Amino acid sequence: MEQEGKGEVSSGIYTYNHHCDNGFDIHEIFVKRSRFRVLLSYIGMVFLLASVSRPFLSEDKLSPGSSVWSITFGILVAKCLQYKPVKKESVVIMPTFGVQLEIHFWSGRVHRRFVPLGKVLKPLLNECVTPVTCYWSLSLLLCDEEELMLVFQKSRPPVKMLVPVWKALGKFLNSECQTCSAVSEPGSQT
Amino acid sequence: MDGDGKRHRILMVSDFFFPNFGGVESHIYYLSQCLLKLGHKVVVMTHAYGSRSGVRYVTGGLKVYYVPWKPFLMQNTLPTLFLTFPIVRTILIREKISVVHGHQAFSTLCHEALMHARTMGYKVVFTDHSLYGFADAGSIHMNKVLQFTLADFDQAICVSHTSKENTVLRSGISPQKVFMVPNAVDTAMFTPSPERLSCDEIVIVVISRLVYRKGADLLVEVIPEVCRLFPKVRFIVGGDGPKRVRLEEMREKFSLQDRVEMLGAVPHAQVRSVLISGHIFLNSSLTEAFCIAILEAASCGLLTVSTRVGGVPEVLPDDMIVLAQPAPEDMVRAVKKAIDMLPGIDPQMKKLYSWDDVAKRTEIVYDRAMQSSKTDLLERLPRYLTCGAWAGKLFCLVMIINYLLWCLLEYLQPTEGIEEVPDIRLVYAHLESVNDMCRIQSEGN
Repeated sequence: MEQEGKGEVSSGIYTYNHHCDNGFDIHEIFVKRSRFRVLLSYIGMVFLLASVSRPFLSEDKLSPGSSVWSITFGILVAKCLQYKPVKKESVVIMPTFGVQLEIHFWSGRVHRRFVPLGKVLKPLLNECVTPVTCYWSLSLLLCDEEELMLVFQKSRPPVKMLVPVWKALGKFLNSECQTCSAVSEPGSQT
Repeated sequence: MDGDGKRHRILMVSDFFFPNFGGVESHIYYLSQCLLKLGHKVVVMTHAYGSRSGVRYVTGGLKVYYVPWKPFLMQNTLPTLFLTFPIVRTILIREKISVVHGHQAFSTLCHEALMHARTMGYKVVFTDHSLYGFADAGSIHMNKVLQFTLADFDQAICVSHTSKENTVLRSGISPQKVFMVPNAVDTAMFTPSPERLSCDEIVIVVISRLVYRKGADLLVEVIPEVCRLFPKVRFIVGGDGPKRVRLEEMREKFSLQDRVEMLGAVPHAQVRSVLISGHIFLNSSLTEAFCIAILEAASCGLLTVSTRVGGVPEVLPDDMIVLAQPAPEDMVRAVKKAIDMLPGIDPQMKKLYSWDDVAKRTEIVYDRAMQSSKTDLLERLPRYLTCGAWAGKLFCLVMIINYLLWCLLEYLQPTEGIEEVPDIRLVYAHLESVNDMCRIQSEGN
């Protein structure tokens, strides 16, 4: 396997890495796992187990209604505290094919989405506003789709890490467009 | 903070902005555009309107934050006191704001943003656009909130001398800190008709929301009397509201269908075309801090008849307006006087007010605000104690909690972690080069 041009930038819990591999341009964002969130998720699981086992272990017989409510509450708390840590999110730019977006979890699971070249119109740096904050995100404007596709779905890396990915996507799309127009130009010599 | 000489970075905050339409909204928009032309950076913060949420760039590169807080009453955001602190802080830091300018006493988002900005040490300016009473329960509460906001502020702006007097009395602030900067009119949009109208038939135009506050009940009394006394007069009434039914009933009762034309709601883009079809503009408002409507009418060359309320007498010179008491008899007398004056007036547009002038005067207010000294929490708290025996202590408690919340936010999300937004300026040179290319291509053909 060939690896070229390793660039790494760290900021807070995110680390950006860029390298080329067999002609593919790979941009990766690594996310540090939060020990506090892991602890909270274990607390949620323990709370759920306690809620489920309380009706069986309790000496006083509890009514079925209150048992259901306590189990439901336990499920809700466990769900809120659930933590599926993301190890890294990567953008693999495959010349002439398209872009593959990957999410790698610490559990080993990998979620992949492939976007063909012809479907991508433009990469966009977008400012997202929530009721409590405002942050940058990188999205793809897709052909025949009303909604933008987020490139990094699970993480919010800083804009200085998004810019090189945005530029690489833009350069990739421009070069592919120029290649297509050169091929389709009448009277062009090959 | 301001680092480019006198270039300010202004955050305009209000619950009232486009796509909602009104006087405050227009004021913020036109003032922002003129401040951008003067070289300042302007960002607007308001709440989301339906699906319009997030960051938008409007004309001139004006950036607008539509924060997804839903309005709960009369376009106002739900007052939460502290929950808006995180988003306000984020916007202030990422846009590198130097002065926060809040608009309209009735806007809860404005009051909260100004409170958070003062806690963080930013300079604040407040503009009051309306007149409020002193006696009813709503006004008493509103005035208390205004007292709280203006207890620790840098400068305030009012749109007329009457409004300044009203604001000073309601909030108990020093008059030296209140500037009077009037509203203006878009002179490019509101121009007189190129052809002078014939005086064979006198057309009186009324364009306003048909609500109690705008004197719709007065119109019901005035219109039939004027039509009876002057057979050559007819009315054009534009606007909608709960009082429209009364006007329709009046038309039916006095059989004035051919002399009173009801247009319904008139989009702002069509207001000028309605105005230039008339000779006289009739305003029957019961209260007005300034009244941009009569300014627009005068800019279109109409003679104005208006009630003598609030700041209206300050808006136009005597040769362009006839004032009357808000009573039907006096208004009919004023209409008669206006009809007699009509042949002698010159409907040419006169240079009245301009938004460029308003922006320059507002810039002076910003400069004055930036010169005020920095104060910490302990120096600011005594200012709130003057708000009342119990209210003062409550306000101090609110500011202390706000300060602690700020410390917590600084710990959870340090300022260094909030990325600053690059300044995006419009590239006017690109547009000129495009025009040159078009010219070259056309010459080549």
